Amino acid sequence: MVKYTIKRILLAVLTIIVISMITFFAMNAIPGGPFNSEKAASPTVIAELEKRYNLDKPVGVQYILYMKNILKGEFGVSLKTGRKISSIIGESFPISAKLGLCAAIVAIISGIILGSIAALMRNKWPDRLIVFLTTLITAMPSFVMATLLLYYFCMKLGWVQAWTAGSHNIVLPVLALSLSPMAYITRLTKTSMLDSLGQDYIRTARAKGVPQLKVIFVHGLRNALIPVITYVGPMVAAILTGSMVVESIFTIGGLGSKFVSGITNRDYTLIMATTIFLATIMVIANLITDLVYKLIDPRISLD
Amino acid sequence: MKKVLAMVLAASMILSLAACGGSKSGSQPAEGTTAAAASATTKTDPETLNVYLASEPAHLDPALNSSVDGGCLAVNSFEGLYRYNSEGKLEPACAESCEVSEDGTTYTFTMRDGLKWSNGEPLDAKDFAYSWKRAADPANAADYSYLCEVFGDKFSYETGLADDAVVASEDGKTLTVQLGAVCPYFLDLAAFPFFFPVYKETVEATKTDEVPTGTWANDAGDAFVCNGAYILQKWDHESSMVYVKNDNYWDADSVTVKTLNFMLTSNDTSAYTAYQSGDLDFIDSVPVDETAAAMKSDEFKILQQLGTYYIGFNYNSKLYEDLGLDEEQAKVFRHALSLLIDRQYIVDTVGQTGQEIANTFIPKAGADGNGGIFEEGTEGYFPLATTEEEMEANVEEAKKLLDSIGLLGEDGMVNKDVSFTYLLNTNDAHVKIAESIQADLAKVGINMSIDQQEWNVFLDTRKQGQFDIAREGWVMDYDDPINMLEMWTTNSGNNDCQFGRDDSKALDWSKYDDLITQIRKEADTAKRTELMHEAEDMLMETWCVVPIYYYNDPYMLKSYVSDVYGTALGMKYFYHAKINAQ
Repeated sequence: MVKYTIKRILLAVLTIIVISMITFFAMNAIPGGPFNSEKAASPTVIAELEKRYNLDKPVGVQYILYMKNILKGEFGVSLKTGRKISSIIGESFPISAKLGLCAAIVAIISGIILGSIAALMRNKWPDRLIVFLTTLITAMPSFVMATLLLYYFCMKLGWVQAWTAGSHNIVLPVLALSLSPMAYITRLTKTSMLDSLGQDYIRTARAKGVPQLKVIFVHGLRNALIPVITYVGPMVAAILTGSMVVESIFTIGGLGSKFVSGITNRDYTLIMATTIFLATIMVIANLITDLVYKLIDPRISLD
Repeated sequence: MKKVLAMVLAASMILSLAACGGSKSGSQPAEGTTAAAASATTKTDPETLNVYLASEPAHLDPALNSSVDGGCLAVNSFEGLYRYNSEGKLEPACAESCEVSEDGTTYTFTMRDGLKWSNGEPLDAKDFAYSWKRAADPANAADYSYLCEVFGDKFSYETGLADDAVVASEDGKTLTVQLGAVCPYFLDLAAFPFFFPVYKETVEATKTDEVPTGTWANDAGDAFVCNGAYILQKWDHESSMVYVKNDNYWDADSVTVKTLNFMLTSNDTSAYTAYQSGDLDFIDSVPVDETAAAMKSDEFKILQQLGTYYIGFNYNSKLYEDLGLDEEQAKVFRHALSLLIDRQYIVDTVGQTGQEIANTFIPKAGADGNGGIFEEGTEGYFPLATTEEEMEANVEEAKKLLDSIGLLGEDGMVNKDVSFTYLLNTNDAHVKIAESIQADLAKVGINMSIDQQEWNVFLDTRKQGQFDIAREGWVMDYDDPINMLEMWTTNSGNNDCQFGRDDSKALDWSKYDDLITQIRKEADTAKRTELMHEAEDMLMETWCVVPIYYYNDPYMLKSYVSDVYGTALGMKYFYHAKINAQ
């Protein structure tokens, strides 16, 4: 286990380095630059800015300089705004993380409960209702969901403000973010719950007179959760790092929007920092998923 | 059992939501901001104005800002020597008066007494002298540093502004400005954000190697010191900004709205929703798809704007050689294309806010720098077609022109394959305009394809002249034709048509460069206006610049708000706004 973990961590570091390299050279290869605008600034101004941020040097040299700074923990400043990258991420990630974690919790808890209900009451009306709703939700992209929520709750009903200065109302964005993974988890839980309830060890447990609830939750659900966990790891990472569209619709300054605006503006330092940051979270989430597997199901061999 | 189950279903959702804990704002709507407020005629909180201008500004530092929305934020929180009033006229602001020397090159501003920064420290002419030199400093690399060219020899991009260009008197009461030549729009510049004062102490204290301009305006806080009506109190990046009234502002008595909130988003649909649900009182743009519906509302307003939407032809494009046209014939060809475009259809279906179609490059309402309107009394460079008959006449004329260069066949269509590409950035409105032009040209058999590029790629491609025709647009920075004429000099970064950049061409563009230099130096304003007409003629005779329409500036304002005004340069002023005044 320890050996495996160390190996995985080393691999993770390598992955991140490769990602950073690909991103750096790719973003420099695409046309456009950070100082472009509809009204062009004078060439002397642009030359001064390029010199300031080392953009006048060859790309290879730029990369080495950049990585040196990263090792010192310096992510530099945004080329567009001059704000520190570390404070940009430091401000926006907690917002995205709070939103993402809430959405993940909502999705996991309600997904597992609904999935279990559907499995236990198979072919009865609750099951049918759940299947119907989850199919509907799965088919709907989050931006459609977000727009609909905004339209009904803010405009039609007026229950929630569409925007308030200085604070965020997270109920609607959390809903918009969580519904789709919740639907997926529900279906996943239902399928694997049905599968595990039909196993021999369940029959054995029942034959031995183990109480019904214990059979379902200890023997059934625990085994049914393995496929769910496979999905949850990457899902958490994905919604933790922000959903650009949902953040944009609800005017929440999270990390997702930084990633996209970084690319549009060719804000090289912001692109690099967000990419490395998101990649790290993804890699960590995958690593944790693999390790949790092992804890839940001793049959899985990691080596 | 069924009932219990239904409750469990509901509870599971609610519980897991509650598990996250409530956000700061909770889910209770604030008073007066429910859906019902959409049609409200009064506002429960008459001291707060909620505004949407655009997405997150790149800079709040007035010297570094180069966007119109950033300019709006600047004019509401900083103030220059002069400012615009609700009639769009200049009036003294931080200055009390201004004297101009007889030769028109020396301006002496007398400062208002008792001016203060938002932190209570005194503000005088010395602060302006510092701020202007700082704005022009090459280390700041400000986009708008070219505005300093009005200082003539006293400014260079390498060394910035000379010490004797802007001199504050010992007592800080007067500011003497020495220009390179007569500049009829200098007081407009005195009201332009680039020339607003910044607070030396925090600017200097927050300078770093990476950010030599100082980080004082990157966030709300003690370092953010200003001298205008509002001061930044809170900035949630890419979400909102809260400005509160600056009690140290000299004109604070006339400011009744105490809090100014700005929504920061690039999603104008969300802003429109917030406006409709009463969470916003002002929106500076309306989604294209909603424009037709929104226009029916009394709250929909349109401001005149000094700017022109046009298409630019690359003078050096290989297209003309391929068609066997020499430079003179190429001009005729472009002239014909210009006549084929149904501009009225474009403004009716895409622009939709009653834009005026254009046949001059300088906007119709623009000043001439000599006390008049530049295009007054001119006929424009081609007949405008607002009716079907007029359009038909233009098409006939176009066909004659095509015939004169041997491109028209007997069937009234072009007699050879005329194909080229229209370059634009991905944007619904631009694409629709391109498609309309495409259909117009197809009527004579010209085959125009549309090349959509991502914004930043587009800027590069256009700048480097790798196109046949490209979408173009310019909104004036200040109300003088030179702003739209000097951009076409050979070495200008905005010379997208690539004039004078191909030595093999017969076109002698140095004449245009000389003309611009002459305009900059001309002391006689009447003569200067004449020279500017000459320059516009020279530019338009190339037929590389084909105007489509003059911009206008639609916005929406709740009926309970009054005294919000804007200028034709796109600035919006909120500091005299009144809520529930009627």
